[in-house]
Amino acid sequence: MIDFVNYVINGALIGLLYALIAMGFVVIYRASKVFNFAQGELVVFGGFLVWWLVVSVGLPLWIGVPLAFAAAALFGLAIERIFFARLVGESVFAMVMVTIGLLILIRGVVLLVFGPQVRPFPIVFPLQPIIVGDILVPRSLLYGGLITIAVGFGLAWFFNRTRPGLKMTAVAEDHQVAMSLGISVRGSIAFAWVLGAMLSTLGAVIYLSGKSLNFLASDIGLAALPVALLAGLESVAGLLLAGVIVGVIQGLAVAYLDPVVGGAVGSVLPFLIMLGILFIRPTGMFGWKTIERV
Amino acid sequence: MDPSGVFATRYERDQALVRTDRQRVALALFAVFLVCVPWLLGPRLVATASVMLITAVVVVGLQINTGHAGQVNLGQAAFMGVGAYTTGVMATHAGLPFWITIPAGGAAAAVFGFVFGLSAVRIKGFYLALTTIAAQLLFHFLVLNLPSRWLGGSNGLTLEPATFLGHRIADEASIYWLCLAFAAVMVFGAYGITRSRHGRAFVAVRDDDVASGMMGIDVVRTKATAFLIGAFYAGIGGGLWAYYVRFVAVDQFTLLNSIWFIAMIIVGGMGSVTGALIGVFAIKVVQETITSLGPSVVATFPFLSGDIVFATMNVFLGGIIAAFLLFEPRGLMHRWNILKRSYRLWPFPY
Repeated sequence: MIDFVNYVINGALIGLLYALIAMGFVVIYRASKVFNFAQGELVVFGGFLVWWLVVSVGLPLWIGVPLAFAAAALFGLAIERIFFARLVGESVFAMVMVTIGLLILIRGVVLLVFGPQVRPFPIVFPLQPIIVGDILVPRSLLYGGLITIAVGFGLAWFFNRTRPGLKMTAVAEDHQVAMSLGISVRGSIAFAWVLGAMLSTLGAVIYLSGKSLNFLASDIGLAALPVALLAGLESVAGLLLAGVIVGVIQGLAVAYLDPVVGGAVGSVLPFLIMLGILFIRPTGMFGWKTIERV
Repeated sequence: MDPSGVFATRYERDQALVRTDRQRVALALFAVFLVCVPWLLGPRLVATASVMLITAVVVVGLQINTGHAGQVNLGQAAFMGVGAYTTGVMATHAGLPFWITIPAGGAAAAVFGFVFGLSAVRIKGFYLALTTIAAQLLFHFLVLNLPSRWLGGSNGLTLEPATFLGHRIADEASIYWLCLAFAAVMVFGAYGITRSRHGRAFVAVRDDDVASGMMGIDVVRTKATAFLIGAFYAGIGGGLWAYYVRFVAVDQFTLLNSIWFIAMIIVGGMGSVTGALIGVFAIKVVQETITSLGPSVVATFPFLSGDIVFATMNVFLGGIIAAFLLFEPRGLMHRWNILKRSYRLWPFPY
């Protein structure tokens, strides 16, 4: 029984981590109508920025991490300037393919600049787990989960209640309509990428704290996809619930199904959930339903 | 546009692929050249040419699916893998000849693709891209986790060479001719499909699926057919691949390969079979150049690491997809058409 509680709690915390990574997808989608396949690569890039500033250059954590966030923001801005400023109002296919091109491009650049070696990531959160009775919780995941919940509710408030947030919502609805209402579509897209890159760096810090880092860490971007879809691509707060659901299901599957079937069910189950969502209810739990007109 | 003096007086004439006598001669010469490639080029280049032909079959299918019918497909490599495995299993376990196993591979891939194409009924755009990515991951999971007696698991499958009228298709030239025969039939078929009623329905659905539904096109059926055809081409390509390398393993059919296929139709030009062929040729030439030049570059500049080839390849692939979408979304084919038009109009501007 205590094992079961352990699996559920740890699954939920990992799910919250997925929710944080998925928040990058949703924020970029919510403010620019671009679905960013390169999310995992942004996480890796943010991770390498932190590694470079803290381990390679040797800055203390309290300078290095904020600097890494600033650099990630600049990187997001550069992506918007180079790629998406020219794509305002273009077809969905062009936008999706540019983010896929970006995925491969960033991976190549990371390999060229930082190399394929495995690097030690600085310890941002203390390594000792928190032990309550028989329940064992990793400290980085617990703090990360709390940060995720705070950021999630903050962003939900921003997008649903404030004037700039609602303007971005209009951009996500339709570029042309937003433009004719006098909203700066380019400004909104730039903000989306800056925020997306910074959230990815935050995700990297929580995910990788005290672990090792190389370019394969980008797989977490794919793992976060089912969470974004279950919540619906327009809902920030819904991600928290969806993250917990997917995380708990995955945690239980790894614990109870993998020994029966012989491995790998835990990693493929989220994608089966994703397929199920796509077939049954593509808008997810809290996504917008759109009516199409000719 | 046609050169001056060429007027179509009948619909068949207007739809003809070969429009002038010069084009007829050029096509015949090109066909003769393709048949003679094994005598003209060295074995390494012939092998490259075979890979190009196999890729051309797969990419032409993707062009019909994505370029004509507008259904984003990031799982073409998985569909190719289904074809390769079906061919491999039928050839090794049942000992059937290649002219049964390769079409059977195509049919199996078509069924697999059709199932995922059914999701296109409800969803489109990047949601569809996600479904096809899931197809890719599911394919890997199935191959690696099914009993290894069936598909060989992570060890892969090893094939015997195909035989045709007692002749073993094992040397580079015979494999090349096998690929050429299949590729010629498939490409010819693709031109037929795109000019037919179905091809016009694909284009209508791509341009606006709601409007085309109101005009009486069965949208669901058209989308599913597009996936069926695209995956069938991928399966045939996979079957040829199985006989070409005579070893089928799951890591030959990754998401990265699917992205390469998409890059080929973007570079060549969306919505044109000829464009797909040009894209395959252009990208394969650059790929081969990077792979063959990479080691010598690393040898000359020892401060570069050995992984530079993989990294450069990634930068090239990502860069070329983004660059073409930003600066020439209609691809090389559009450039070629502009060139042809100005050449035919010369010395007049229009």
